[in-house]
Formats: sequence, C-alpha cells, structure tokens
Amino acid sequence: MDSAWTALDMETQTMLKTAIKDPKTVDLEKLSNAVVEHSLKDLSFCKDAGRMCYAVVQAEAQKTASSVFRRNLLNRLQQEFIAREETRKRSMQEWVCVVTFICSIFDYIKVNNSPIAALVDPVYDCLFRLAQPDSLMNEEEVDCLVVQLHRVGEQLEQTNSERMNQLFYLLRDGFLLQEDLSSMTRLLLLEILEFRASGWTLSETAHKYYYSEVAD
Amino acid sequence: MSEQQKYKYENDYKSSEDRNKGASRWSQCRKRGADGILRKSHADEEPGKDQRCSKRSESFTTPESEGPVSRIKNWGDEVEEQEMRTNVRRDFHRYRRRILASDFPQRDRKISSGSSDSRDSRDSKESPAKGDIETDETTLIRRQKQINYGKNTLAYDRYIKEVPKHLRQPGVHPKTPNKFKKYSRRSWDQQIKLWRVKLHAWDPPAEEGSDFQQIEEIDLGEIMDFELDVETTENTESQCSSSNGAAQSLQEDAFMETPKKMMKIEDSDMS
Repeated sequence: MDSAWTALDMETQTMLKTAIKDPKTVDLEKLSNAVVEHSLKDLSFCKDAGRMCYAVVQAEAQKTASSVFRRNLLNRLQQEFIAREETRKRSMQEWVCVVTFICSIFDYIKVNNSPIAALVDPVYDCLFRLAQPDSLMNEEEVDCLVVQLHRVGEQLEQTNSERMNQLFYLLRDGFLLQEDLSSMTRLLLLEILEFRASGWTLSETAHKYYYSEVAD
Repeated sequence: MSEQQKYKYENDYKSSEDRNKGASRWSQCRKRGADGILRKSHADEEPGKDQRCSKRSESFTTPESEGPVSRIKNWGDEVEEQEMRTNVRRDFHRYRRRILASDFPQRDRKISSGSSDSRDSRDSKESPAKGDIETDETTLIRRQKQINYGKNTLAYDRYIKEVPKHLRQPGVHPKTPNKFKKYSRRSWDQQIKLWRVKLHAWDPPAEEGSDFQQIEEIDLGEIMDFELDVETTENTESQCSSSNGAAQSLQEDAFMETPKKMMKIEDSDMS
C-alpha cells in the first residue's frame, strides 16, 4: 500500500484497510463517496488513488462476487465529470483534481485486463478541454494535461487513435499559434509533442534536454 | 410488461437463425444486427417501419425500475456490461478450445472443470459441431445473467463445497445449464428453473423466529420427483434466506420460488 492513503482522515483510512481485508463488513458506498470527496481536495492523493481503489475493487470481487464499490465510485465520478465546466469556473484546483482522479482510475482499474471502455471518451473530453486556448494560458492546467498524457496517453491512443490525433492537432496549434504562452507552457507542450512522436517515450538526448539539471 | 419488453420477448422465441437476419420490425431500429455488423442507414428501409422506431420515448419504464429510466447509461452499468461481455467471450473461447480438443481422441479423458462439460460433446444427440454453438452475444449474456443469479446464492455455495465435481451424479446433483448449446428460449428458461429448484435442496437451514413453526423436515427429494410447474406472479423482492449476502443488489428472476412456497404447495396438495 502506498503513502497516498495516509492523506485520508483516520475514519476513511480504517474503512479502506478493512474493506480490503473484509469487504462485507464495510459500507462500500460510503467509502467510495469519501474517497471521491477527498480526491477533489488533494491533488497528490489523486495521482495514486486509482491503485488504492483498485485494491478495494479486487478485494470485493474476489471475496464477495459483487461490485458495489466500483459501481458507486464510477457513478459518483460521472457526476463530477458532468459538472466539470461549473467546477472549473468555481475552482481551478478542483477541476484539475477531477481530471487527475479520472485518469488515475482509468490507469489502474481494469476490466478483464482492458481499460474501462466507458471512461475513454470522458478522459478525452477532459484533455480536449485542457487543450483549449483559455486553459493553455493557465500553467496549472497545462501541467495537468501533460502529466495525464504521460501516464495514460499510450493506453488512450490504443483505444481510440483518431481522437488522439485530433488532440495533438490542437496541441500543435496551441504551441505554434497561441501568443502569450509562457515559456514554461511552451516547454511542456514541446516535450509532450516529442514524447508522443517518439512512441510515448523520450530519446536519451531529449530526456537530457528536458530533465537534466542545468549547471550554472 | 412494457411494450419494449414484450416485443423483445416475442422476438426471442424465433429460431436462432431468424434472430440473426434481423427480421423483426424492432430490429430495424438497431444500429447493429445481432451478428454485430453495422446496419446501413435507415434510408434503405421502409419509411413505415422507421416512423414506428422514431416514436420511441426518451425514457421507458420496466417492472424492475422504480420510475422512468433514462437511456443515458451510467458508468457503473456500462462497466458491468463490459465485464459481462468480456467474461462471456473468454468463456466462449475456452469452451470452443475444449470442444475442438475433445474432437481428437485422447488417451487421458479427464473430466473437465468449468461451466460446460466436455463429455457432452461426445453425446451424439447434442454434439455441438462448430455450427451448433450458441454465438449470439445478447443471448449468451442474458443466459449468463440467469446463471449468475443461481450461482450467487448460499445454496450454490454450500452445494459446491459439499459435492466436488468428480462426485456428482447426473440426475441427482444439479448441473449448470450449458449456455453455449443451442436451445430455444423456452427450453433454456425451463432448464434454469429446474436447476434452481434443485439447488434449493442445499438452502441453509432457516434461523430463528417465525420460520421455525413452518418448517418441518420435509424430504425435498420427494418434491424433486414431481413435475412441478410452479409459476409465481409475486414480486420476488421478498428474498428467500438463501440469497442474502453477496447478491443483494441483483434481482431475482420471476420464476424462482422459495422453499417455503414449495412447502405450502405440498401442504395444499396433500389436504
């Protein structure tokens, strides 16, 4: 178990531990709500929350042959997804958390070794939103965009390559045509363009360029 | 039964060949035929039929739902459908491998584990040659759901713990119907019904309270010998004790009855 769950409050932490050991004794619907609630406030939690959730999903499937946790988690997430534009207006941080959490779930929770088909278009929708001109002006959102593409881009492309192509048209356009982008933003965009062009990896020299410490 | 359900049920009574041809008026509305191939646009079809389809309402009510159900699915349902679909496909490939393997005489004829017994393939009456396997995904998924209802009971759990596969005697011990064999809808539903009735023999003993007075030690073996065709019209939200726990979120099929009901019938027959 990774450190992500220590960010949760004690009650939820306990529920989680118990859910993995003995799913029958826990109110899984309540647990899934608590997890989502927390994820909206804590970006670092979101990144690995998927793994933790998957542990519960698997425990429930193996020990009780049901999928209450997964079902509730996804439906709750769907509500957040549907309300994303209002969330973005209200709180940029929360919006970024929603995207990060959805992508984390997409990354970790598999169905018979495949990603959850129902999440593919929603993830793309979020990334497309992040690639819009107003979002590209905001470093917080650009960061979110490139981080998610690093994590789930390859998988996403395998499930629907056409939408990935379209997304990258937007990114190229943004990089080339949008004025007033910060240099950080342009760096991030250039890196992700190169990353995908190299087959979702970076050559050694490119990696050195983007990630080495600059000696003074 | 809602309109949509009624038509769907009528369609399913057709032979399996007709199903794939999409001959029903309702199947013209579907984007894909039963064989999975995308249909051409509606321009090719009769306008009359098309009109009928476009009158479908935005929401619909079924006996199971509490009110109108939106056609927009939620992610929870979608992922469960994906899981069921991929499970059924995986089962199908396993079954087909087993069937093909048993076509070739082997020295070691191990009795297979899993939901379908390869011994069946040697039964000349029911031998599923390549063309005789049920492949329609909708049908397979529906059948799998019915099987799941039965397997998610305490009775089934107790049964499989008590009687390992190699000790099962045909006729005495219930056997899960093979969803890959070709059966008519009626035949399949009847097999499921009988299977579930047989499984009730392994229901856990009832616990405290009012149940005690009703329950005598009835020899369920006697009941099994009757050709009971008990249809209940009661809403089966009254759960029998055997289906607690795991499957509470699943809904019981209308055909299933509880031991208590059977005992009452037995009583009334005898009086």
